[in-house]
Amino acid sequence: MGFLPGWLIFAAIALVFWGITGVTQKLSTNNISSELSFIWFAYAMIAISVVLALTVPMRYHVRPLIFWLAVAGGTLNGLGALTSFTALESGGKASIVISLISLYPLVTVALAVTVMHERLTIMQAFGIVLAIIAAILLSLEPS
Amino acid sequence: MLTHLPMSSPTMEPVASRTANIAGLPRWLFFSLLTIVVWGVWGAVSKMASNGIDADTNQVFFTVGLLPLILFVWWSPRTRGGKNRKAGIAWAFLTGILGGTGNIAFFHAFVIGGKASIVTPVTALFPLVTVILAITFLHERIGTAQKFGLVLALVAIYLLSM
Repeated sequence: MGFLPGWLIFAAIALVFWGITGVTQKLSTNNISSELSFIWFAYAMIAISVVLALTVPMRYHVRPLIFWLAVAGGTLNGLGALTSFTALESGGKASIVISLISLYPLVTVALAVTVMHERLTIMQAFGIVLAIIAAILLSLEPS
Repeated sequence: MLTHLPMSSPTMEPVASRTANIAGLPRWLFFSLLTIVVWGVWGAVSKMASNGIDADTNQVFFTVGLLPLILFVWWSPRTRGGKNRKAGIAWAFLTGILGGTGNIAFFHAFVIGGKASIVTPVTALFPLVTVILAITFLHERIGTAQKFGLVLALVAIYLLSM
């Protein structure tokens, strides 16, 4: 895999695992409320963290800013899950809500370029636009 | 990540109080836009945190950030009942294990130098896998738009990896 950038391999792993959750989440909310589903999702996260804390060397002594950024990450991500469920349960059509939410990387890109001063090539910028369009199209279920 | 969008509306019926406007927007639109912002900021925050910690520690701190939300959701009366609680809970737990494992890979992509502006759009293509699995295992049918989306997603990943 020497011709692939390292980050791409790990991004692909995340993509596959999160992609599978698209199915398992659906199987869960077919049977229980999104709230109960969220709680058990979070319990699994706690289980993973306990296993990690016991088996992998941890680096707890980090700068406070880094600690709070990482904690805020969990809160923001979980909050997004709850708000997306609320959107779906407030009368929004699933394919429209999910397509709309697929725009979230645009916010990341905007922050990355303005706040974190990341630079993009023309090809990468084009790739981002295509990725967003692809995510929207993938959310459109046949009627 | 808690990706976690069901591919169709959950089984619960919306109640009247859930359809009122917020800030002049229909409730569903308001919460969709809010989701875009919080998940978008999450991508940036994850990269910033990854400048100072490894992926495993990041995942542990991420879980700390989830705790207040568990307490918040805990009080919902909707956590009671359900069509098949055992199955629903088992699938939810599996979703968390898979989601958490995905998180660690996502964080690690940042640790080894992936840019927030590239890694986040690539990982946001996860519906690519969901759609393929839905066709294969749930025998769902795929529309022309989704077929086009599948191809476009692969082209996008190729361009972003250059």
